[in-house]
Amino acid sequence: MSVRWVLVLFIAAASGACGSPSERDPGAADDWAGWSLDEPLVRPDFVLTDVDGEPFDFAAETEGALALLFFGYTHCPDVCPVQMANLAEVLRDLPFELSSHVMVVFVTTDPDRDTPERMREWLGRMHPDFIGLRGSLEEVRAIQAGLGLPPPAIEEDDESGDYFVGHAAQVIAFEPDGPARRVYPYGIRQRDWLRDIPRLLGEAGGG
Amino acid sequence: MQWWCAAQGVPWDWTWRPYPGVWLFVALLGGVYTVGGWRHRARYGTWDAPTKAFWSGVLVLWLALDWPVGALGAGYLASVHMLQFLLISLVAPPLILLGVRPLVRAEANVWQRAVARRATHPITTLAVFTIILSATHWPPLVDALMVTQVGSLALDLAWLLGGLVFWWPVIVPVPKRLWLGPPARIGYLVAATLVNTGVFAFLTFSDLPVYAIYELAPPIGSLSTRDDQRLAGLVMKMGGAVVLWTAITILFFRWFFEDERIERSFPLRADR
Repeated sequence: MSVRWVLVLFIAAASGACGSPSERDPGAADDWAGWSLDEPLVRPDFVLTDVDGEPFDFAAETEGALALLFFGYTHCPDVCPVQMANLAEVLRDLPFELSSHVMVVFVTTDPDRDTPERMREWLGRMHPDFIGLRGSLEEVRAIQAGLGLPPPAIEEDDESGDYFVGHAAQVIAFEPDGPARRVYPYGIRQRDWLRDIPRLLGEAGGG
Repeated sequence: MQWWCAAQGVPWDWTWRPYPGVWLFVALLGGVYTVGGWRHRARYGTWDAPTKAFWSGVLVLWLALDWPVGALGAGYLASVHMLQFLLISLVAPPLILLGVRPLVRAEANVWQRAVARRATHPITTLAVFTIILSATHWPPLVDALMVTQVGSLALDLAWLLGGLVFWWPVIVPVPKRLWLGPPARIGYLVAATLVNTGVFAFLTFSDLPVYAIYELAPPIGSLSTRDDQRLAGLVMKMGGAVVLWTAITILFFRWFFEDERIERSFPLRADR
């Protein structure tokens, strides 16, 4: 290999390390990151208790907004903190005129350990606008069944008294016009959300 | 059980895990060195500076590859992944080369024939290092490799190979290049402080997480993915600078004292 070729490769490598800006442009791709549903899900009508102890009517409170509904628990070691942290970062990135129309609603599947105080503290660390809801396990099971989600599965305690709760990992995106046409499984990245949220907000209006 | 650290996607805990592939690799390196030393009986069994340097390099390598650094870097934190890169490509190789230098010198003729002269030319070695550095931090490649043990091993070996190639002209004077004295070697290392700037800027100034593997990894502590990535960029830039400028300082003072020694041995008498 001649020194000339070495220099060419050197320059190519040094400049190529920065990647293509279009790879990181959320608006560059046309495809959706969320999975399209065959039948749109109707926005559920349920009332649970928020972290301040007040009743929260999901359908009424989120009307006209993009409601991102997630079922999880604060002791979750992987899926829940990743999904919530990524959404929080993305909401901070979005311009206020968009982010102010997005509501992230976290319903606990572990009401025994997820006290209002713990949920307030855990969700507050992610994003101050995240909404945490609690209900009995039966209520949560009924809501999930209505959305076609598997019920939470509480595993046996380990030696330290800790336990895992198996739960659906997807975020359901109820669009401003009412139904959810897409769900976002675990593995969705921040760049995916940044691309899809503006379109989810605009889709109802044909955007 | 894993034999080499790779991303598993399971929550992190501080339970120790064995990685036999790492142990085998480290033992293999040590074994080859011991056999090489045995071939040169005059040096065999001595605990001299090169031997100490070699085993220090192996120790650094082992720490970088084994639990917990290897496991954390493989699947949880980009900043630890970058620390691994530093240790494997910038810290361990010069120590290992200091250790093998006497053996290479003893076999200089063989080496000169076996290794193409151009392969160890400073321009070539700097280019090879830059290419390896850039390629092994390219997000699609990292995301693809780090999820398998073979891929993770390939990345670690590429870093080690890149580091050995990079440090060769500075540490091993084979083949002999009269022009590659201390000033040229200092210039080479100064140039090397610039080659990671692209990757550093890419990581530090990216608006979004660039590696899926760390973005979707089970979290550790309260460090956000973006902060972890910025920290990774800083570790690369600042850590690399510390290593390279330490080497530059050592080279400079050796050169300075060597000049002084020569002047004392052969004083100029032009005043009469």
